[in-house]
Amino acid sequence: MTVVNIKINGKKYSDDIEDRTLLVHFIRDHARLRGTHIGCDTGHCGACTVLLNDRPVKSCQILAVQVDGESIETVESLEGSDGKLSIEQEAFREHFAMQCGYCTSGFLMMTHHLIREYPELSREEIREKLHGNYCMCTGYQQIVDAVQDAQKRHNDKKS
Amino acid sequence: MMKSGNAQVLEPADKTSTSSTRNVGKAVRRLEDLRIIRGKGGYTDDIELGNQHYAAILSSPYAHARIKRIDVSKARNLPGVVLVLTGQEAAKITRPMTSRAATVSPKSHYIMANEKVRYMGEPVAAVVATSRYIAQDAVDLIEVDYEPLPVIASIEDAMKKDAPRIYEELDSNEIVTDHFEFGNLKRAFQEADRIVKDRIRIHRYASTPLETFVVNAFYDQTRDELLAYATDQQPGRTVGSVSACLGIPSSNIRLIVPPVGGGFGYKLAVWQYVAIISLLSMKCGKPVKWVQTRMESLYAFHRPRGYMDAEFALRKDGKILGVKLTDWQSDGNWPYVSALYSLIKFANMSGVYEVPNLQFEYHCVATNDPPVVQDRGVGKPFMAFAFERMMDLSAKELGIDRARIREVNFVPPEKMPYTTASGEVYESGNYPLVFKKALEMSRYNYWINEIPKLRKEGRYVGIGIGCAIEPGTSNLGYYFLSKASEPDYNGAGQMSTVEIGQDGIIKVNMNGPEIGTGHVTTITQVVGDIFDVDAEKILVDSWFDSAHGHLTYAGTYSNAFNDVYLGAVMTAAKRLRDKALRISASYLHLPLESLSFRNGGIFSEEAEKEVLTLKQLAKISYGQLLSFPKGEEPGLKVVAGYINPTAKPFVRSDFNVQLTHANSTHIVVVEVSKDTWAPRIIDYVIVHDAGRVLNPGIVEGLAIGSTASGIGGALYEEFLFDQEENNLTLTFGDYMKPTAMEIPEIRLEMHESPAPNTVLGTKAVGEGGAITSLGAVASAVENALEPFNVRIRSLPITPENIWRMIKDTDEYRKLKGAN
Repeated sequence: MTVVNIKINGKKYSDDIEDRTLLVHFIRDHARLRGTHIGCDTGHCGACTVLLNDRPVKSCQILAVQVDGESIETVESLEGSDGKLSIEQEAFREHFAMQCGYCTSGFLMMTHHLIREYPELSREEIREKLHGNYCMCTGYQQIVDAVQDAQKRHNDKKS
Repeated sequence: MMKSGNAQVLEPADKTSTSSTRNVGKAVRRLEDLRIIRGKGGYTDDIELGNQHYAAILSSPYAHARIKRIDVSKARNLPGVVLVLTGQEAAKITRPMTSRAATVSPKSHYIMANEKVRYMGEPVAAVVATSRYIAQDAVDLIEVDYEPLPVIASIEDAMKKDAPRIYEELDSNEIVTDHFEFGNLKRAFQEADRIVKDRIRIHRYASTPLETFVVNAFYDQTRDELLAYATDQQPGRTVGSVSACLGIPSSNIRLIVPPVGGGFGYKLAVWQYVAIISLLSMKCGKPVKWVQTRMESLYAFHRPRGYMDAEFALRKDGKILGVKLTDWQSDGNWPYVSALYSLIKFANMSGVYEVPNLQFEYHCVATNDPPVVQDRGVGKPFMAFAFERMMDLSAKELGIDRARIREVNFVPPEKMPYTTASGEVYESGNYPLVFKKALEMSRYNYWINEIPKLRKEGRYVGIGIGCAIEPGTSNLGYYFLSKASEPDYNGAGQMSTVEIGQDGIIKVNMNGPEIGTGHVTTITQVVGDIFDVDAEKILVDSWFDSAHGHLTYAGTYSNAFNDVYLGAVMTAAKRLRDKALRISASYLHLPLESLSFRNGGIFSEEAEKEVLTLKQLAKISYGQLLSFPKGEEPGLKVVAGYINPTAKPFVRSDFNVQLTHANSTHIVVVEVSKDTWAPRIIDYVIVHDAGRVLNPGIVEGLAIGSTASGIGGALYEEFLFDQEENNLTLTFGDYMKPTAMEIPEIRLEMHESPAPNTVLGTKAVGEGGAITSLGAVASAVENALEPFNVRIRSLPITPENIWRMIKDTDEYRKLKGAN
């Protein structure tokens, strides 16, 4: 057992956990933030994608003890404290970019990262960047629409 | 044309508002998304009960073996473990599951393996512990001695006279077989100019929703009541099945289905696990949660593999005179749904074509393949694939164009409604027009001219066509067509509850699980129109709750939402509206006909203004009983049902399996790399007719998404087994799902032929792409490989499978020699 302190969405969570506790289980079962999902257990599907110090990671592939003292952002961080939706959230809703929604948190966190990391991405580049996130429902087209739109909104806001 | 991503949004100003849904037919943004994008999806695994305990299941490592000994002592002694239950112990206190369709059912198949295991991954024992990690540790400590038995890996092996039997109590591994004939096959085949024959195969693949099975059950021993939460697509049936299996009266079972993280039919199979986890809770007295691992979900519940022998009798102009089909299917060993894949094929057996004479024979065979489930479209994708392959092959053998042979055979629009040889009724549609639009959009003629030129440049480009019917709304008696006894159920209907709560909010429970197909939004649109209110005054329950009125087969499947679910919601809503108006008229002393629901309240024509708010209406209806009209009952809650009127009773010579029939044409252009033999889709065009479209944004997503699932099945996905029936594809690293890189941009146009037999003219849309795409993709790849003169008879069309097909051809040798 090890005591870890992990900052999630700006809030500190401290717990005495088994060393083998996966980060995704820490987020879901210890911090009780249920927006991050488990889809494949093997790092393929991306449903558990969160940001670790602003970089996307698959939280089923990391032990919680590995990120002791680090900072994590999950889907719950996107909405403003005033209840205002983020541009990623807005764009996904606008474009019907989800059906069952189980993969959506992972896609939103990837999008949050991509639109800040790259000033411009073609549809083909978006598809390539999203290949580590599976969606079994949409066929991806409306997700690509949403990412493009989110990028535009982000760039418009900056300029 | 509906362009991708340009769905018209009604409320551009206030982004989080849910107002202005009084617009059936518009791309109203989904209400479900407001919780999803905030990470508040509320899936079954997100629910935590007090004193929550966790289960893990030991799966069989063998496909066929006798269980000689199970030693659970080490597992039981692990700190934190509260219960270990073996399949053998479970069998003593549960009833076996039986086949719905077979006349003689196996009787030795329990919710966990009893004396022997029949597939790799079958549950053998289960553990309950204080944490999911300890439960898994304990599973690893269970020791089992197996005696391997001969494995039956194919239909041929299963059908051998001396074959070992999967179910020793049966005479044969053939669980169900039947033969149907409609019209005069003999004459059709005598009159034919040409008879074209082939064997078309289908492989094992599955929809793999991203959320696996999850069950959370608590048996309350003080009340003898079971409360279970489960990712269940057919909870109505689960209540009955769990009741029968565990001996709990169904009235003492409450089953709740929170929003489901993808259904696709896969989650019709969860009931076995609801029974296991409920049994664990009964035995240990704790609330028990089980979350299936991805590996467990890849073990079992796929589409069955099999093949179809098809014979087409044709006139030389391409006209079909008769079709003979013999369907062989390895149903694995879950007799529960045996024959369903075969029998549902009647819903699209003759496709979009006139087939005057039809023969169908099927054989469902038990093997050591894992169990099957009614995956997206059930037998219909294979039916359409086989038929469309035969259309291409017939065109080739007759020397006519692939588009032309289809045009010759389409059911003409003037014959609508059209009854097929077996009795299926195509209620409306214009198949030639849908086809023509698709040819134009895809520039079919351009490609037909261009492809030979590209070949001269050394590029293998091809264009392919797929046309298919997408049936919806099952007339459920079809399950029992081959069984000589009264069916458990027949017809197609649903029940729904609509109420105006004491706070004036209109609450709707449609009692079909929410599986991601936009039902909350669509119902809000429809109910908003009936009451003329904004979405914020409507609360559509996204939970199935068995405490509400429902039918024994209630669930979200068979594309029935648009039909009988909306029918039930509308019936209940209108009855409630009428009742509310009667109470209002009596209370206000105004003539009934002068009152209506308008703009969120009760409006009087006489007073020319709103006379009651919904809140005031509720206050009167739930408390001020003396102002009621005579005979009116208090409260504003209506439970109502609806039955699609066009379901026929089952007579073997004339029956309809499904009640709505959308249709589509897919046209695909592919290029096959001559370096890697990987096919790449260059263009994908869909013209889809799903009747009236209630929300284009949702319908577009379903048409594209279901097509993506079909592209996965056509080009990438396959469960692979070795000769001992070990599943070799147990992670997403081995079972290849298409990602955003593999799925192409899809150009979609909707055509609308309203259905005359559904409440709003709608038809099915959730399975269409999965049905039509297989044939279209195969047609395109075969066309690209025309210089090799090969036939595509099976899927998936992987680079390796292409290479195997072409490696011994002259064209290949020429090509390699040239390099």
